[in-house]
Amino acid sequence: MVHEMPAGTDDLVADLVAALGIDRVVAGGGARHLYGRDGSIIEGGHSGPICFPDSTDQVADCVRVAVDHGRAFVPRGAGTGLSGGAVPCNDPVVIATTRMNQIHEVDTERRIAWVGPGVVNLDLTRHLAGTGLHFAPDPSSQQACTIGGNTANNSGGPHCLAYGVTSAHVAAIEVVLSDASIVVLGEEVGDAVGYDLRGAFVGGEGTLGIATRIAVRLTPDPPVVKTLLLDFQSIVDAAETVTGIIAAGIVPAALEIMDQKAIHAVEKFVNAGYPLDAAAVLIVELDGLPGGVAREVEIVEQVGADNRVGTVRVAADDAERELIWKGRKNAFGAIAHIKPGYYLHDTVVPRTRLAEVVAKVNAAVERHDLIVINVFHAGDGNLHPLLVFDPREPGTLERVHAAGEEIVRISIEAGGVLSGEHGIGLEKRGYMPLLFSPDDLAAQRALRDAFDPHGIANPLKVLPTSASCGDVMGLPEVPEGVWV
Amino acid sequence: MSAFTTTAWLGLDDDSLTACVACGLCLSHCPTFRLTGDERMSPRGRIALMRAVQTGGVACDDEWYNSMETCIQCRGCEAACPAGVPFGELISGTRAAISEARPLPLHLRLGLWGLTRPRLLLLGSRFLAMLQRIRVLPRVPFLPRQLPLSGSRLPRRSEGDVVLFTGCVMDVWQPEVHDACETVIAATGSTVVRSGPGTGCCGALHEHAGLHDSAREMAEHVIASLPGEQEILVDSAGCGAALKAYGHLLGTAEAVAFSDRVLDIHEWLAEHDDSLPQVPVADRPGVIVQDPCHLRHVQGAHGAVRQVLGHCSEVVELNDDGLCCGAGGSYSLLQPEMAGAARDRKVALIREVSALSGANIVVSANPGCSMHLATAGVEVRHPVQVVAEMLTSADGVNGGATDGR
Repeated sequence: MVHEMPAGTDDLVADLVAALGIDRVVAGGGARHLYGRDGSIIEGGHSGPICFPDSTDQVADCVRVAVDHGRAFVPRGAGTGLSGGAVPCNDPVVIATTRMNQIHEVDTERRIAWVGPGVVNLDLTRHLAGTGLHFAPDPSSQQACTIGGNTANNSGGPHCLAYGVTSAHVAAIEVVLSDASIVVLGEEVGDAVGYDLRGAFVGGEGTLGIATRIAVRLTPDPPVVKTLLLDFQSIVDAAETVTGIIAAGIVPAALEIMDQKAIHAVEKFVNAGYPLDAAAVLIVELDGLPGGVAREVEIVEQVGADNRVGTVRVAADDAERELIWKGRKNAFGAIAHIKPGYYLHDTVVPRTRLAEVVAKVNAAVERHDLIVINVFHAGDGNLHPLLVFDPREPGTLERVHAAGEEIVRISIEAGGVLSGEHGIGLEKRGYMPLLFSPDDLAAQRALRDAFDPHGIANPLKVLPTSASCGDVMGLPEVPEGVWV
Repeated sequence: MSAFTTTAWLGLDDDSLTACVACGLCLSHCPTFRLTGDERMSPRGRIALMRAVQTGGVACDDEWYNSMETCIQCRGCEAACPAGVPFGELISGTRAAISEARPLPLHLRLGLWGLTRPRLLLLGSRFLAMLQRIRVLPRVPFLPRQLPLSGSRLPRRSEGDVVLFTGCVMDVWQPEVHDACETVIAATGSTVVRSGPGTGCCGALHEHAGLHDSAREMAEHVIASLPGEQEILVDSAGCGAALKAYGHLLGTAEAVAFSDRVLDIHEWLAEHDDSLPQVPVADRPGVIVQDPCHLRHVQGAHGAVRQVLGHCSEVVELNDDGLCCGAGGSYSLLQPEMAGAARDRKVALIREVSALSGANIVVSANPGCSMHLATAGVEVRHPVQVVAEMLTSADGVNGGATDGR
């Protein structure tokens, strides 16, 4: 099951051990098996030795040894990514940042915290309890994913509608580049002077270097939060309500839609009180000053009424708020009870075309004889069709990938983009020509080459290439020159 | 690579193994992953490695065994898993399958055998207690500093409204916890009878160690020794989780009916809390709650603990999702380094929370946890002991707590 490593690996391991110490390097077959994949459905990656540095200098040592041996390196946090960004291709040195999990400094006056890349997202917010501040990006995996991973993928989450995705919350980053040099990108205060290399680095998926310390911005907790649950007899009405709320000048903290299959799956296991006869529910979260929030609740109720809302439930207290969110946040888990495998897709379409695109996606997936469930960030048009399947049934993965490709095409034809928050990784690199012209891609390639001229930082990710990644199977490849 | 390269078919349920979708949400809830950052020490990693052996034909080597043997079996991952993977069953099945290839050390096997002989255990403990008193016994880390000379009171032969399950080690080393439970149960107006040494050990440690046959025999003995319809209350989280799982372990209608009678003491008290002491808010001491894994992740009874304590104390949370303290039954003996590191992390958090809140009482409803934390100098009491004390002092304040208030 575990493949043989290429010649020279013993010397590579010896040099890594010499640089880092025996406790920080593993190269056993079991470890390489585990580090061959991440949270995505992509299997077949080939990991080389895995390093667990606990300082910036040690990360630089890892990179230096990899360069000396002509090996690539792949950064990895918690490995919860969904696009294969941390799946290693061709036996690279895997640099796990999990031991760089210190919160170095919290400045509540300036609302900045310097953290290690291995700090778990939710741990930071927990650490800030009592300060009236929190870290705003809240991907559904926030209990496990790391801030280094959030930075690499420019992660989002339900509350990024109002607060912005990770890039808006990263002020500065200390980075080890692919020549093992250490630089700081961005500024703690104000905007970058000159080109915003911090902005380029965030979302770079580890192809531009490794973040070793991150200065994140801290967001004040809102004084008042109201959570509403609206139900509809059609998903079109729910989507129209979303458009209406934004058109009324409100930017809610979150706007989430779940379709009927999702409601049924969730209710069975969570009992969040979602109405089972509804075709869709819309969760609206409003926050801010008391007077403003009260007025916004009235507007949302009115927009809902204009769009044939069934009932509007305003959570009376924190317990009810949590229950409404519990249904949403456990949706994927509840779905896992239907079939053992799922493929969580991620595309973005114009908000005004949500209902139309969801209908097309459903039809396309059902044509491939798969179950599809929709739970999505409606406010920013971020679709998350969830394909549910049993990977043990022969031929299923091929159908899943074929349906995934159709979802991408439908989204792009509607004027959308490839990914809202999961990143491109290995999963979608083949689709990049659907969205970008050869000139666009060449410009992106030039940026990457400027950071990593020898192509050793997480190679084969993000940009399309003809090179193959180990035994990774079934990934869509779009013929060169195709541009929709 | 190793002395053990036999390919083992683990006999695990294929659906349970496949249910893991490798999302990784379990990682931060796993104490050994938190300490090492290494996926071989994580639930997701352990499942992938089980799968590699069971269906991939990979041979077990030292790296593989180490991954399985370092699991504390706290089941924190199970509570966090969105796909409902029954990790507890998978790891206990794996431990059972490898128990022949990797026999337990002799001293542990002797110890586990001793637990099945409660009267012998009591005698042995009294002997050690006497040696302690005359100072010829060297300090053993996990033993209480002062072993009691007498065990818990013998069961009254009269019928009670409820049964208090007294277990093995706890009956010998922490009889004061049983006494406190009896006091508090009595305050609710109910009568209680103790299961006593005739019932003996629940077999939880044997089950964890992969000794399924012993565990089943002990379960059968416990069930046979406690006939009747009364509810069975348990003040040790590990034992309570084991008794509640007898139905699953034995698969008989009798065992299922027995498990249905079992309640954690706090679950029962939460239903009978009208007569518990109501202490004015200003007089409530701060109490830091350390949830035993088998209370929180397995039984889900941590809410009841807070409800019961909430009447007489100010509950202070550790806010770590009940991350394991590293005790894990016999784990602290088998994997002292990892157990010590998990404990040190927990102790540091307890001290931090104590400094911030001013609370200096720490409670945990499991003898393993309290003994393990005691080795790092943290005095840990049982939640019901705190209630019993407040009951005594509240008597003077509000004229008796049994007046139905």
